[in-house]
Amino acid sequence: MSLSVRFSGVCKDFGPVRVLHGVDFALEPGRVYGLLGENGAGKSTLMKILSGYEAASEGEIQIDGESRRFASSREAEGAGVVLIHQEFNLAEHLTIAQNIFLGHEQKRGWLLDDAGMRRAATEHLAAVGLAADADTPVRRLIVAEKQLVEIAKALSRKARLLIMDEPTATLTPGETERLFALIGKLKADGVTIIYISHKLDEVERITDEVVVMRDGRFVAREATASLTRSQMANLMVGRDVSDMFPDKAPPPPDAPAALTVQGLAVPGWVDDLSFEVQAGEIYGFAGLVGAGRTEAFEAIVGLRERSAGRIALAGRELALSNPRMAMKHGLTYLSEDRKGKGLHVNLGLTENLTLMTLERYAQPWLSHTAEHAALKQAVEGFGIRTGDLAARARMLSGGNQQKLALAKFLHPDPRVIVLDEPTRGVDVGAKRDIYFLIQRLAAEGRAVIVISSELIELIGLCHRVAVLRAGRLQAVLTAEHLTEEELIAHATGTH
Amino acid sequence: MNSVIRAISAGVLALTVGSSWAAEKVTLGVSIPAATHSFTAGIVWWANKAKADLEKANPGLKVIVKTAANAPEQANQLQDLLTVNKINTLVIFPFESASLTKPVAQVKGKGVYVTVVDRGLTDTSAQDAYVAGDNTAFGKLPAEYLAKAMGGKGNIVALRGIPTTLDNERYDAFTSVMKQHPGIKILDAKYGNWNRDDAFKVTQDYLTRFKQIDAVWAADDDMAVGVLKAIDQAKRKDIKVVFGGAGAKGAIKTLMDGSDPRIQANVSYSPKFMYDAIKLTAEARLAGKKLPANTIIPSVLITKQNAKDFYFPDSPF
Amino acid sequence: MPPVPTEALPAWRHLLSRLSGIGPLLGLVALCIAGTLLNPDFATVDNLLNVLTRTAFIGIIAVGMTFVIMSGGIDLSVGSMAALIAGCMIMFMNHLGASGSAVLAVSAGIVLALVLGSAFGAVHGVLITKGRIEPFIVTLGTLGIFRAYLTYLADGGALTLDGALSDLYSPVYYGSVLGIPIPVWVFAAVALAGGLLLNRTAFGRHVQAIGSNEQVARYAAIRVDFVKLATYSLLGLCVGIATLLYVPRLGSASPTTGLLWELEAIAAVVVGGTALKGGEGRIFGTVIGAILLSVISNILNLTSIISVYLNAAVQGVVIIIVAFMQRGR
Repeated sequence: MSLSVRFSGVCKDFGPVRVLHGVDFALEPGRVYGLLGENGAGKSTLMKILSGYEAASEGEIQIDGESRRFASSREAEGAGVVLIHQEFNLAEHLTIAQNIFLGHEQKRGWLLDDAGMRRAATEHLAAVGLAADADTPVRRLIVAEKQLVEIAKALSRKARLLIMDEPTATLTPGETERLFALIGKLKADGVTIIYISHKLDEVERITDEVVVMRDGRFVAREATASLTRSQMANLMVGRDVSDMFPDKAPPPPDAPAALTVQGLAVPGWVDDLSFEVQAGEIYGFAGLVGAGRTEAFEAIVGLRERSAGRIALAGRELALSNPRMAMKHGLTYLSEDRKGKGLHVNLGLTENLTLMTLERYAQPWLSHTAEHAALKQAVEGFGIRTGDLAARARMLSGGNQQKLALAKFLHPDPRVIVLDEPTRGVDVGAKRDIYFLIQRLAAEGRAVIVISSELIELIGLCHRVAVLRAGRLQAVLTAEHLTEEELIAHATGTH
Repeated sequence: MNSVIRAISAGVLALTVGSSWAAEKVTLGVSIPAATHSFTAGIVWWANKAKADLEKANPGLKVIVKTAANAPEQANQLQDLLTVNKINTLVIFPFESASLTKPVAQVKGKGVYVTVVDRGLTDTSAQDAYVAGDNTAFGKLPAEYLAKAMGGKGNIVALRGIPTTLDNERYDAFTSVMKQHPGIKILDAKYGNWNRDDAFKVTQDYLTRFKQIDAVWAADDDMAVGVLKAIDQAKRKDIKVVFGGAGAKGAIKTLMDGSDPRIQANVSYSPKFMYDAIKLTAEARLAGKKLPANTIIPSVLITKQNAKDFYFPDSPF
Repeated sequence: MPPVPTEALPAWRHLLSRLSGIGPLLGLVALCIAGTLLNPDFATVDNLLNVLTRTAFIGIIAVGMTFVIMSGGIDLSVGSMAALIAGCMIMFMNHLGASGSAVLAVSAGIVLALVLGSAFGAVHGVLITKGRIEPFIVTLGTLGIFRAYLTYLADGGALTLDGALSDLYSPVYYGSVLGIPIPVWVFAAVALAGGLLLNRTAFGRHVQAIGSNEQVARYAAIRVDFVKLATYSLLGLCVGIATLLYVPRLGSASPTTGLLWELEAIAAVVVGGTALKGGEGRIFGTVIGAILLSVISNILNLTSIISVYLNAAVQGVVIIIVAFMQRGR
């Protein structure tokens, strides 16, 4: 049932750039491996080669002692190797059953065997613990449920090696627990699991061994129990990450209010939400996925309809009706969906950086030199690592994309900035950079609002944290009361 | 072509006596292409004029005119005419011969009397009568006129319409006459799509390519407009004659007024045959008679002398 | 990815991105050489000016179309719109000319063309942005409406400009300045203005951003609806300009005026390297694309080596080859 893997001398070139430099290591069957590394370390590329999405430029992969080269993901799945992407591979308009059997439809003669597929899908759903009808269209599911559908799909392919790329990035703590239970069950069934995550606490909890990669090379394979989290982080970064978070420097008590919201209501999402953020404050928003945090702020900047509520910036009440108006009054919002709403991944870095403030560069003709200078400054100021200033945004790693997005939404020089999941899919080093940047912004007297599902982050960074549940404000916790238990209790309503 | 008749004037009707079919109320459906260019606009205008004139003269007659933008739409209309309007007589100007043969045959199968206009069906048993313009003369008369006007020698460029059997008939007739005049050379013949703009472009390129052109067979009055503009723009004096065709009212007017020395003759191919076809069919049915199987409305050469007989200022064509 | 040496190579990068855009230009050059070999008359100044002049209508419309397509939209109605504007212009000028000064009538007609074009475009924009209807459907609808209305105005026949007005107006198409026909000057000016607008203004950048990802643009505080509406208006204005050059050519408008111009304009834009799904494009490419399309038919008219029945096939083959040359970016 299980399956072992050996990489020997695997190299990968993208054009002139070598991203994997002769990776050698082996994985034993039936164990859970944590694959660690900063963004750009080559873990995703290596896993794509293993699962048939990419071809290795050099080297070989042995599966159960036999050298294999998968020409397609379909071929890899045939051998029992299945990769679940961080951004799911689901057809939104098809049903769960149709997705599970997509490309592997069961047939009866010439016709699709819908009843048979529905029956099989229902079994797989039961196995992953998803209580949904197999005929539900996937677009109706929440993220956590989609994740379970992906796993059910992998089960239907008789996966013997399951690779999960950041599976908990969008899950709430409760959902994460259920996923871990499922991983335990799969392991007991003899499935080898490779678990890619930036969340070291999770890696520590559920993996047997960790494999660390850095700069396209294999660094270490160790029993999880033999490493502390900080040792793991040090291995990944190649230097000592002693403290992730900057010291908290709360704003003076008499700091003026930067953003005041009273009685905000967003149809279907938020009810009667009131809060106030001071200049120089880092204000967190906690809650489960779907609690209405994102929707509340989309409504505040005018991206979504509000049915009630008063908004004041620096004490001045405003009827913000679109993001442009919000920006002009010093409020910007960086979405959690970096590729779908934050950055134009197909455009250049400059175009992304200056998009919100083009009038600054157009008098009346755009000055490419001024834009270029601005980019250079941003690359330095935000520590964006890129070889090529003329590159497109999609060529940057996740962490660097996020830094560029931050630079873009800070370019209008807002007094209040809302960051929705600012470190999602970002490696440890970049995370730390972003935390220090947030601290710097607050120190400059800006109000920073951080919406996050990572409790550690909220606890380590924020001066105060508001907790939402089902669109209602449950509590506002000050720094001294911030603990994981408190936050979870308020977020889940078990207080 | 069993009988070729002159059926321009209303009174002259050549009818074969049909069965003793009781003359009762005649509901006559007319199915024609929509007015997308001036010729079809003329068809529509003449069809409506026939409806007005005939319904006024014959209380027992009802005429329903339907226009269609393409062949499938026309086929659908046939069904509507049959089931909704309950027609017992049909006059149809088919978009295409092949694709409408079956639908028309079905209508005929329900006992409707069918007259087909201009474009013959591929299976003639699907029609009772056929009324058409004379495409052979449309190509032959200009050829004969041009050969004479050029004294049997010189260079001609020709324009063609849209690739169709109708266009082929005209062009074949034109070239077969020209074969008898070895001194005349047809330099080239390209499609101008019966469209002023395309004719303008094709002519511009002819003028670039050929340094000596004596005559242009534009083969259509719309295309002649584009041809003349292109010649004027290039300030070419070598072209003595431009021959259009179909007898559009603007072209006839030019001919009558003698306002352009290059326009000296035309050939009739008037959409008025639609009027004639409806009138012939309606009157035959009211009298309980049948039309001859084939009725050809001849094309005739129009010159300054007879031009006023072909001038219908009210028609859009 | 590990960093490639910094102090990047924007210079050669830039050059490379420029080079990838010259597929259509190479195609055009190749066609011109072929044309000259097939018929030396092709390379005469008169012929080339003829080609450029007749490209002007489609070319000007294609410049406007580039903005619409770049923003992720489409406009199928431009041919019908041109026909209707031409018809309205002619009726309006005949009406004014009958009672007053001919110069006034012609200038008023020109203004009418520009106003009508922008207004029609704005109507598209409003229906698409406020009405939330797919651009394909909106403009497919108006394609029928515009042409049907012209056919109605013209009674199915042709609307013709009165003789005196026609004589006064015709130099706008047939006249030349410095040996270059006026439509070519106008085409060049529109292309230049379009290029400047697209590459060097905030508006142009916003158009590109919306086409690349409308959501991201919305979140980046761009007034998406306003910009889209402006692109359709701009295209309408371009149609107006093209029409005011078209009318003096034949002095008439008929139901066949502007037939299939929409496809030619869209083909010019796409052949020129603008992505049909939006987000990427070049005015220069569009200009080349438009010229390329008319050069093909010009060469076919100047030669008789291929059966006339196959003309459309030749155009199809050339379009596909050029698209192939500039693919994969």
